[in-house]
Amino acid sequence: MIVTWQIGLRLTAIVLVAVLVQISFLSYISILGATPDLLPVVIAVLGLLGGAVTGAVAGFATGLLVDSLLLQTLGVSSLVLLSVGYLAGRYREQFEIESLLAPALLAGALTMLATAGFVGLQLMLGVDATVSLLIVREIVVKGLLGFLMAFPLYPLLRLALRPALVLEEPPTRRRIFRNRRPARRRRVRRASAQGGVA
Amino acid sequence: MYRKQIRRRRSILVALIIASLVLLSAHFSEAESGPLHAIQRGVATVLSPLESVASQALKPARDLVDWVDETFEARGENDQLRDDLAEARRELAQAQDAVGQNEQLRAMLSIGEKIDLAGFTPAYKPVTARIINRSPSVITATIGVNAGSGDGVEVDDPVISGDGLVGRVTEVTQSISQVQLITDPRNAVSARAMPEGPQGIVEPVAGDPDDLRLDFITNEQQVEEGQMLVTAGWSNGELSSAYPYGIPIGEVTETTLGEQDFQRVTVRPFADMRELQYVQLLTGGPERPGVRG
Repeated sequence: MIVTWQIGLRLTAIVLVAVLVQISFLSYISILGATPDLLPVVIAVLGLLGGAVTGAVAGFATGLLVDSLLLQTLGVSSLVLLSVGYLAGRYREQFEIESLLAPALLAGALTMLATAGFVGLQLMLGVDATVSLLIVREIVVKGLLGFLMAFPLYPLLRLALRPALVLEEPPTRRRIFRNRRPARRRRVRRASAQGGVA
Repeated sequence: MYRKQIRRRRSILVALIIASLVLLSAHFSEAESGPLHAIQRGVATVLSPLESVASQALKPARDLVDWVDETFEARGENDQLRDDLAEARRELAQAQDAVGQNEQLRAMLSIGEKIDLAGFTPAYKPVTARIINRSPSVITATIGVNAGSGDGVEVDDPVISGDGLVGRVTEVTQSISQVQLITDPRNAVSARAMPEGPQGIVEPVAGDPDDLRLDFITNEQQVEEGQMLVTAGWSNGELSSAYPYGIPIGEVTETTLGEQDFQRVTVRPFADMRELQYVQLLTGGPERPGVRG
């Protein structure tokens, strides 16, 4: 991903909107006993589109923003989300993404990982909670919801960041023409060398 | 070139991890008045208008989701409600006088005044606040409200809704506060079963926002299903509960005898933590030793 200042602004807007939607809307909803978690999904998609560095930096910044707004211990969400962004980015650098299923599966798995990581960090920081199957169930449901949310989010964010994606730069007429000309010249040269007509 | 990219990527990752860990340990170990807390409160204060706007803008969407949720729930509860209604009608006939008096008293008294009637001087001053954010965490349960130190809110102030106890204030900025709900595992409330039941500690069950557990009730002690729990509001002179006596917490829904001399008592909180829109923060009130610095 080529991160110009315009793309930086778009990334900032995406992160800000995602954080506000999460803490002002999605955190109020309960589906199958779990709250949908948009942030790991967005960070995973940003990592998939922009690579490991973009994913990690976006995850770190998002975590810092969430912890500040919720007045939580700073650094907890950053650590979890930067891991999500980095892992998603590494996946993108290693494998070709050919269908929408791969990002969705990865987003679901990384949401589960992020939730488990957050729980682990909270327990390490002294939150005295009985770890029961209810937590495991909630982690799994959050992963499932993340998987479902990735289906609309991946194409949407790809569209929003399209100008920055090197591989998906739309071909222009001029570039097509420029690419064709040498080939035509070669054909003409080859034909005239053989004494025929191109 | 490729190696250079790998080195750059790794160094950024390591730098971010180190930054996170430094922030985490510094923020966790420093006092409330420390610089990181101050910066955090500053960021939260600056962004709180944005949060309020987002919260208001997304309210119709939340209401829509609630409506769908309630419609499904209502279908399941319909039969149960029919039975309850028949019983309530019988009870209504017997208790019309009492209900009439109760309604008059309710109309006259706010919750803050009720607490004052329980014998606290000076009286608590309730500050009504709107919920502007909510934590998505699996374990912890916190909400942000749009009232802060500018409204007289202090850390450890009790927070209630029209139904009962909600939690207590854990962080305060000039214009917003963080409230730790009673369903957060870091919260424990000393409670008494009414009218003359035993006293125990109400603690949450991690991952289950709908139920609480009343601990330290021995198998010999009498606690029945349907019994109401209120805050015990204890004080021994040096230490005291953050909550005043008499705030309704919830009702006992299940009791089972335990193997180690203690009962397993499940409590359903009166306040529905997911449906909260507004809360009251009980500011001021009497000095509580060991609660405020």
